[in-house]
Amino acid sequence: MHNIFGGIAQGVVYALVALSLVIIWQSTHVLNFAQGAMAMFATYIGMTEIDRGLGYWWCVIISVAVGMALGGLTERVLIRPLYGKPEINPIVVMVGFLGVLEALAAAIWTSTTRNIPEPFSQIFYHSQGNLVYLSPFIIFQVILALGIMLVVAALFRFTPLGLQLRASALAPEVSRLLGIRVSRMLTFGWMLSAGVGCIAAVIQASGSFGLFPTDMDGIFVAGFIAAAVGGLESPFGAVCGGLLIGLAEQFILSYWSPNVAPLGGIIILVIALMIRPQGLFTKTAGRRV
Amino acid sequence: MIRVTDLSVNYGAVRALREVSFEAPTGEITAVLGANGAGKTTLLRTISGLVAPKTGEVALDETRLTGVATENIARLGLAHVPEGRGVIAELTVEENLRLGAMAAKVDLAAGLANQYERFPALRDRRRKLCATLSGGERQMLAMARALIAQPRVLLLDEPSLGLAPQITAQLMHTIRDLCASEHLTVILVEQNAKSALRIAHRAVVLHLGRAVASGSAQDIAQDDDLRRYYLGVAVE
Amino acid sequence: MQGWRTFLRQESTHSRLIGVGALTLVTLAITIILPPVANSDLAGGAAIAVVILGLSWLIGWSGQISLGNSGFMAVGAYAAGVWAHHHATTPLIFTLALATVIGGISGLIIAIPSTRLRGPYLAGLTLAFAAAVTPIAQNFTSITGGEGGIFMNSLTTPGWFGGFFHGVNASINANAQWTADLAVVVAGVAFFFMANLFHSRSGRAMRLVRDNDVAAELMGVNLSRARSSAFMVAAAYAGLGGAMYSLLEASVRPETFPLTLSITLLTLMVLGGIGTLSGAVLGGIIYSFSPDLVSWVNSLTGVNPTSNLGANMQGIIFGLLLILTMLFVPRGLVSIISPLRKLVGSLRARPPASSAAKL
Repeated sequence: MHNIFGGIAQGVVYALVALSLVIIWQSTHVLNFAQGAMAMFATYIGMTEIDRGLGYWWCVIISVAVGMALGGLTERVLIRPLYGKPEINPIVVMVGFLGVLEALAAAIWTSTTRNIPEPFSQIFYHSQGNLVYLSPFIIFQVILALGIMLVVAALFRFTPLGLQLRASALAPEVSRLLGIRVSRMLTFGWMLSAGVGCIAAVIQASGSFGLFPTDMDGIFVAGFIAAAVGGLESPFGAVCGGLLIGLAEQFILSYWSPNVAPLGGIIILVIALMIRPQGLFTKTAGRRV
Repeated sequence: MIRVTDLSVNYGAVRALREVSFEAPTGEITAVLGANGAGKTTLLRTISGLVAPKTGEVALDETRLTGVATENIARLGLAHVPEGRGVIAELTVEENLRLGAMAAKVDLAAGLANQYERFPALRDRRRKLCATLSGGERQMLAMARALIAQPRVLLLDEPSLGLAPQITAQLMHTIRDLCASEHLTVILVEQNAKSALRIAHRAVVLHLGRAVASGSAQDIAQDDDLRRYYLGVAVE
Repeated sequence: MQGWRTFLRQESTHSRLIGVGALTLVTLAITIILPPVANSDLAGGAAIAVVILGLSWLIGWSGQISLGNSGFMAVGAYAAGVWAHHHATTPLIFTLALATVIGGISGLIIAIPSTRLRGPYLAGLTLAFAAAVTPIAQNFTSITGGEGGIFMNSLTTPGWFGGFFHGVNASINANAQWTADLAVVVAGVAFFFMANLFHSRSGRAMRLVRDNDVAAELMGVNLSRARSSAFMVAAAYAGLGGAMYSLLEASVRPETFPLTLSITLLTLMVLGGIGTLSGAVLGGIIYSFSPDLVSWVNSLTGVNPTSNLGANMQGIIFGLLLILTMLFVPRGLVSIISPLRKLVGSLRARPPASSAAKL
């Protein structure tokens, strides 16, 4: 496999999406199926700012800010009315939202791929005269992903805010009885999750492949599988899952065919199910006692 | 003091509470008794704001509680230990306690120290996941978590549920002592009328959503008709 | 007379046969009146209704969600396409049956993991499947013909049928009506089988599995078998619908079945009424009219159909419809219609219907 670093680079994007899903699961016990689309949309808005001449980092800040706002708004307007209803309802609503966002993005900005100029060089290093497919940008990506993972893990494990977020998702009623403003926690969970998801989309857009409206579909699926396999309770597991899928795709790409690379995620999922036949998190054990 | 006035609550077509009125005086234990389905749990849930009443009012001293959000009612100093205790099994003992202290802005270290002193068994298990606790330990934790916030009012929903008789007796003692030492207003919902009446100052009897009797605990305990029809227990 | 509504509500195959038969005949009669364009829309709608029937069975009655039905449509479509390409003379029924069977078997891909996954995880798996279909179709060119796809002969209208048509556009009218009629008949048959399934013991077991799987297990229902068979049924129906769809277009290409089609299916089913047979029919009807719906919205809002916005209006409208329906009318249009029906029924002071058959 000659392009390990390419696999890692793509894996970072998956890992960040997986991380955003871990965040939203840990704080709300709802999965946002429109996560990828929302991130894409916010990033597009950030990208148009670049057209106006703002620098790369401004684009990132704007994208993340718009994404967080979008996440909070979504929770308030679309998800809030659905608490207490069957758990497929928010999934369906988010799927609809996904459709709207992608169509809207194509309508506003067309379906052509867009790029943002990267902040770090994407030129590969040479080692002993051979091309090593590693660039400063890839190093930056990996450090960024690991950094975010550590921050998120620390947030949930060690901070009062993290405790409140977890409690609000695990036992909302009991948490309210303890005086915790559960609805604020839920909104915040959505905002945080959206923010991390946006970083994934921004990295994708800065990479060599760029971003187009339906790009995040495949990325969301990979991130979802990574989160499911790595563990929705574990930021570390999610990141590992993402990197694993990225590497698997690279493997398929090198030894089989580029077109089938998207199957990498599905193959990992199947393998995971075979290793753990009891299923992925099928325990519906009572949470409160 | 908690004052409930003409409280009516519907769950769809079912009338869970019908014009219930009573007072739980400050610093005293008021027992709420009645058979299963009488509306006792609904009453507590309405007081703490989880359920919205159709008509009627709930007040804590001069402050109106009806229509106030649950988390704000909790922040006013009302602690509700729900049916089943509500201990969050996926968190550790200490994490549950921290949660209890979070909204109340009390000194966490001091609060933890206090509760561990009162319930030493919890200190031994502070880093354990609550899923591993026994019923009695969970009850202790639920109480400690409620008390760490230094509430004025304590609502207890069937604390003796699933506990062995000796532990229940201990529990009741603890409740009585706490009420006295912390000057708490306690509303105690119990199916085990005997134990409840032993420590309560006042009692209210619910039957099919209506308050059919209220008075001093002694009077209620000695009323044979009540015992037979609503409590189903022969009190010695 | 007892009233045909009460009659239909009785749980007998007989009454269902008559009910579905009547509905089919009425629809066939309508095809006579409709212009060719409308007829081909109707045919497409019938194909989609078949897919939605399977989806309704899955979601409404076993409580599981699938975003992957566009994938199963593709499987059926390619199965039909590949076969028809190489064996052009096979009777239509055989090709359709083949597509149905292959669709059902491919349902195993999801069905087997479905026994181990729940809720969002299962939805995610179906999403992965739907998203994977286009790349796979594009890649395995030897079987699927790659980007270009497969072409099939369009359905030939038999001579005796064409004889009914005269005038300038006789053959166009005849062809359009023939395909529409075929589609309606196939859909009617599929509908009949699904109606039987709904009211059979498996159907009732399904309802148990959906509402309370502990109770179901206690009653001896094999949970995993129930769940995976539901997926296979849905996949089979999707395969049939996909084959119908591609036969109508006389081709099948990778872009015919994108992920957005799954979203559209979901929208139509939710709009019509989750888990109900009439909801599936309503969904198909709405699909037939969706080009008109889109142009109506375009004219209402002054959008130019050839602009970027215009090209994406369908996606926007359907996405919005799904959100709004889920938030405000989660049980679909059927839930609005049946109270109306009950109201009318009560005005006639008839004794209550024998059972709550959801037809």
